[in-house]
Amino acid sequence: MIILELEHVSKSYNTKKIINNISFSVDQGEIFGLLGPNGAGKTTTLRMMLDIIKPESGNIKVFGKDIDTHSKDRIGYLPEERGLYKKSKVIELLVYLAQLKGMTKTRAMENTVDLLQSVEMLEHKDKKIEELSKGMQQKIQFIATIIHGPDLIVVDEPFSGLDPVNTQIIKNILLEQKKGGKTIILSTHMMEQAEAMCDRILMINNGMIVLNGKVGDIKNEHRNNSIFLEFEGNLSSLEGLDQIKNIIQHGTYVEIFLKDGHDVQSLIEDIVTRVRILRIERSTPSLNEIFIKIVKGVSS
Amino acid sequence: MNKSLMIAKYEFLKTVKRKEFILMTLGFPLFFILIMLVPLLLAGTSSPEDLNLGYIDRSNSFEFPAEITVRGSMIFSNGIPGVTNNQELDGTNNEKYPIIKFTQYSDVAEAKQDLGSGTLSGYLVIPEDYIKTGIVESYVMGKGTNIPQEELSELLVNNLLRDKVDEETLQRVKDPITFKRFSIEATGEVSEKGLTDMLEDFALPYITGILLLISIFTSSGYLLQSVAEEKESRIIEILLSSVTPIEMLTGKIVGLGSVGLLQIAIWLSVGFAGLIYVFAISINPFLLILSLAYFILGFLLFASMMGAVGAISGSMRESQQLIPIFTFPAIAPILFMQVLITEPEGKLSMFFSMFPLTSPIAMLIRMGVSDVPVYQIAISLIILMVSVYFVIITSARLFRVGLLMYGKRPAIGEIVRYMKTG
Repeated sequence: MIILELEHVSKSYNTKKIINNISFSVDQGEIFGLLGPNGAGKTTTLRMMLDIIKPESGNIKVFGKDIDTHSKDRIGYLPEERGLYKKSKVIELLVYLAQLKGMTKTRAMENTVDLLQSVEMLEHKDKKIEELSKGMQQKIQFIATIIHGPDLIVVDEPFSGLDPVNTQIIKNILLEQKKGGKTIILSTHMMEQAEAMCDRILMINNGMIVLNGKVGDIKNEHRNNSIFLEFEGNLSSLEGLDQIKNIIQHGTYVEIFLKDGHDVQSLIEDIVTRVRILRIERSTPSLNEIFIKIVKGVSS
Repeated sequence: MNKSLMIAKYEFLKTVKRKEFILMTLGFPLFFILIMLVPLLLAGTSSPEDLNLGYIDRSNSFEFPAEITVRGSMIFSNGIPGVTNNQELDGTNNEKYPIIKFTQYSDVAEAKQDLGSGTLSGYLVIPEDYIKTGIVESYVMGKGTNIPQEELSELLVNNLLRDKVDEETLQRVKDPITFKRFSIEATGEVSEKGLTDMLEDFALPYITGILLLISIFTSSGYLLQSVAEEKESRIIEILLSSVTPIEMLTGKIVGLGSVGLLQIAIWLSVGFAGLIYVFAISINPFLLILSLAYFILGFLLFASMMGAVGAISGSMRESQQLIPIFTFPAIAPILFMQVLITEPEGKLSMFFSMFPLTSPIAMLIRMGVSDVPVYQIAISLIILMVSVYFVIITSARLFRVGLLMYGKRPAIGEIVRYMKTG
């Protein structure tokens, strides 16, 4: 089932096109990665999905219809720019934010207590936000996002500023939510995170879609005809081989690109005779590499 | 519950619990009560001390009694024409009144010596040309004793006129005028005006006007602060993912407007309770209802403008700097108070009581000093309502676009464009 659908959406600020005619959809129960370099238009896209700003043209449908108060109540949003009322008490603030999402006070209170417990912060419930450490504030902010049990969770750079322990806590909660059938849109420029968590990704650059699909498919598509090799021996002894187009050095290992029409198998046989192999693998580019390649390719 | 109401409730409770609010709301009447009570209390508890005064009379025109008793501003002494006998003091109650003793000296050096030794609390020198200049020199040790002028003045008048005028004239010279005010109504009816009436007519609208101004400003100031704070702390984006900007603006205006109403209700009830108790005045219900109407409309006007300013400006500090744009027109009626009071039907007064930014205060002041025709009040209210309507619409547009702009404040041209298109 399609939870969110954008059709030919564009937006510009002061004649500068921030988003240029993008269309995509997000299915129920998946973790959908919205990727792109800084300034690509990720946050603008998210804000349009949430009806915080209006698109200039195009259609956005959430839960199958135009966004309204009722559908807003079913979305949880963690903005990239974090902020809470510094002088408010943790529990009062969370209950208020949940009530603004259409929850009754009693339910809001129950959820707040449950969630605070799950991130081991129940003892801090009566403290003021400003009395909490930065990491704790981040966790409170994250709780505020899911306090009302939203069906669609939109998180913008959720792990920025978190230490590894807290990153893991948040990651687990997100995966937990996914298990419960919730849909998650994860916007980030950190490709390793996206690669580890997302089912599908959409990469935008300069307001346009440059990649869209399953993580596995995208990686296969962008696979080079090359191998990674870590070895003991002399690099120059490899250079004479006629299957090799060129060799790129990456610190402790090299990437060997094959000429068209040559097979990895035969190359390995030749290498074995010349150097001592420590590690060898067919290269599958990380999302990070694909990302860099695409961003550079577009701009050059 | 409606989301605007939820916001209103939250903002109301949050603001009412603020230290600044409590301090301002309770502190203001307390401050006034203190100002009124302190002199009374001081007068009651620490009665002036007995004084021992020396005097050197170079004009040779005075003869002081050996001692006088001071009660309030009245003096009592035995055997002096024109001064009430001491007997009249007896039996009033057992309170002890301060006594001033007088000793005549012929030599300044002697008086100085006695002052130094502590025998005298001070001494007076009446120069030869006193009759021409009215100057009397008084000498005390350091900054110490305060020599009461009023009581001495009575004594001097007594001395000067003794044997020249009769007893009654002497009393009149001391207390020459007691006003009894009458005003003749259009009907030809003559009515006596007392202090109470003057208070009702003038002081009430005036005080209400000023309280209105303070309250409108504190509560719309809270609104500005609250919007600027949300923008600065970035919580705004979370709120906007739950409610629309209009719901948010409405909620804030209702919530903080109620704060203002509560504040002014506390002030007025404390103030009026005091006035009713002290002067037994009656409150004109029409005036009260009008004050309420002007407060609500005036608040809506300023609050929605402040909301827009808060949304557009980049930070709390920046928004504070923009406040004077609104403060100046609003306090203009107070600055031009003289004109409003002396020429309540003049062109300037008329303008102030019709122009929406000044009318809430100006109209109340005008009503205090003259009978403003009902149609004028109606017109001013209508102008105010229409302005409120347009300002809210425009502000809401600015509010919507302004909220998510960080960093640079938009240029004037941009703002104008947003006003038109939203």
